[in-house]
Amino acid sequence: MMAPVAEFRSACSTEEAVTWLAELGADGCVLAGGTDVMMQYARHELGPAAFVHIEGIEELAGVGRDGVVRIGALVTHRRLAEDAALRTSNPALADAAATVGGWQTQSVGTLGGNLCNGSPAADSAPPLLVADATVELQSRAGIRRVPLEEFFLGRRRVDRRPEELLTAVEVEPLGSRQAEVYLKVGRRGAMVVAVVGLAARLSFDARGAIAAARVALCSAAPTPLRVRSVEQALVGLDAALPGWQDATSPSLRDGIDALMHAVSPIGDLRSSEAYRRAVLPGLLARAIEICRARAGVGVPEG
Amino acid sequence: MEIEVTVNGVVRGVEVRPHETLLALLRDRLGLRGAKNGCSEGECGACTVLLDGAPIDACIYPAAACAGRSVTTVEGLAPPDGELTALQRAFVDSGAVQCGFCTPGLLMTLHALLAERAAPSEAEVRRAIVGNICRCTGYAHVVDAVAQAVGARR
Ligand SMILES: Cc1cc2nc3c(=O)[nH]c(=O)nc-3n(C[C@H](O)[C@H](O)[C@H](O)COP(=O)(O)OP(=O)(O)OC[C@H]3O[C@@H](n4cnc5c(N)ncnc54)[C@H](O)[C@@H]3O)c2cc1C
Repeated sequence: MMAPVAEFRSACSTEEAVTWLAELGADGCVLAGGTDVMMQYARHELGPAAFVHIEGIEELAGVGRDGVVRIGALVTHRRLAEDAALRTSNPALADAAATVGGWQTQSVGTLGGNLCNGSPAADSAPPLLVADATVELQSRAGIRRVPLEEFFLGRRRVDRRPEELLTAVEVEPLGSRQAEVYLKVGRRGAMVVAVVGLAARLSFDARGAIAAARVALCSAAPTPLRVRSVEQALVGLDAALPGWQDATSPSLRDGIDALMHAVSPIGDLRSSEAYRRAVLPGLLARAIEICRARAGVGVPEG
Repeated sequence: MEIEVTVNGVVRGVEVRPHETLLALLRDRLGLRGAKNGCSEGECGACTVLLDGAPIDACIYPAAACAGRSVTTVEGLAPPDGELTALQRAFVDSGAVQCGFCTPGLLMTLHALLAERAAPSEAEVRRAIVGNICRCTGYAHVVDAVAQAVGARR
């Protein structure tokens, strides 16, 4: 039995939070919405001396736009799912946020918490990866910017030092002739951790063929990951050609082969390894179809 | 530590422990037993209360984080004269209460929905309550109750 947490400190500013984190070192635990922390605490998976509660730090709760979209660490899944401007600039992130737990989870669960928790199943990770996200970490020593792809080190391990606070995530908004989607497979339609999740951001040329692709996954490896080999294989794929979904089109077949090589799913209580592998090809094809529809390519005009 | 939290409109000064959940504070120390302890893991929604108007699972939310904020429980829905809200009345009338364990949580989530949308669609109602498990009604009576409450408010 671990000692109960001795202290609860509520920070009013980033400055205050990073001062406390520096002082506490490994004895401190950042607490945002608590949807992961409180459960892990109840299960005796962590036993910090002090919680550093950050929900009251207003400067971390905003969304800014200046070429890139800057999303504060405290922005909740509910806001990501409902905010009209975010749904336009980063629709896959909105798709993902809407699948996190239930409304109760989304009300308090934050983007920063989802990333720092380091789960291989973090739903916000694939949409952020396809938007080339960079995370910003702040400590008393200064600010460090880390590409999200490098932030995930391993199962439940992220590149954050105990004295650092994740302050914001910067993402590229969708460009013209681009579309994106996040697809999640779960055991029911809601309130489930992903069996696998896949995000795709596709750019189309004037004819409607894929000009560039970004694809990322969760629950398919020890960390969420971008699959560049798949991205390369999809370039040139013309989903207007009949039969492309049946893997007769070379690009899709190459994409699926690359996908199967890139993943290393595990079998656990949510799904077998074989099932995870079995659903991925169909998910990739569906993502392409949805992106085409969302981008309005291949849809007859008039 | 000592915090001040507004519970059902009344400011309360309470001593809380750093790891104490909001649900433990409400049930064990403030005597508000409407919110239920079902799964203790944020899965079932029986403990749903409103924090500054938003539905949350009180079983996994720290009490200390509620300092200076406003919590509404099922006990705070009806005014002191005891007149039920339109939604509570509709729950009773349409058989949406069977064993009753999920009822307080469902009421809180649905009150939050009706505060956002005057006349939610059936799909919106069903989506709002994905985090509230009911094993008796199959949700049909619950959906009916919302429609009835919306009709009554018109
Ligand atoms: C019922 C239920 C269902 C869930 N369903 C899903 C789901 O479908 N998909 C999914 O991805 N997740 C799910 N989760 C997990 C969780 O809700 C999310 O990961 C959420 O985004 C965590 O955010 P939080 O603010 O609650 O984090 P917290 O629990 O407060 O923190 C999580 C971790 O991040 C650290 N941390 C938080 N914020 C910061 C910061 N700004 N800087 C540095 N460190 C920080 C904390 O120290 C902790 O290690 C679910 C949880 C529950 C209880």
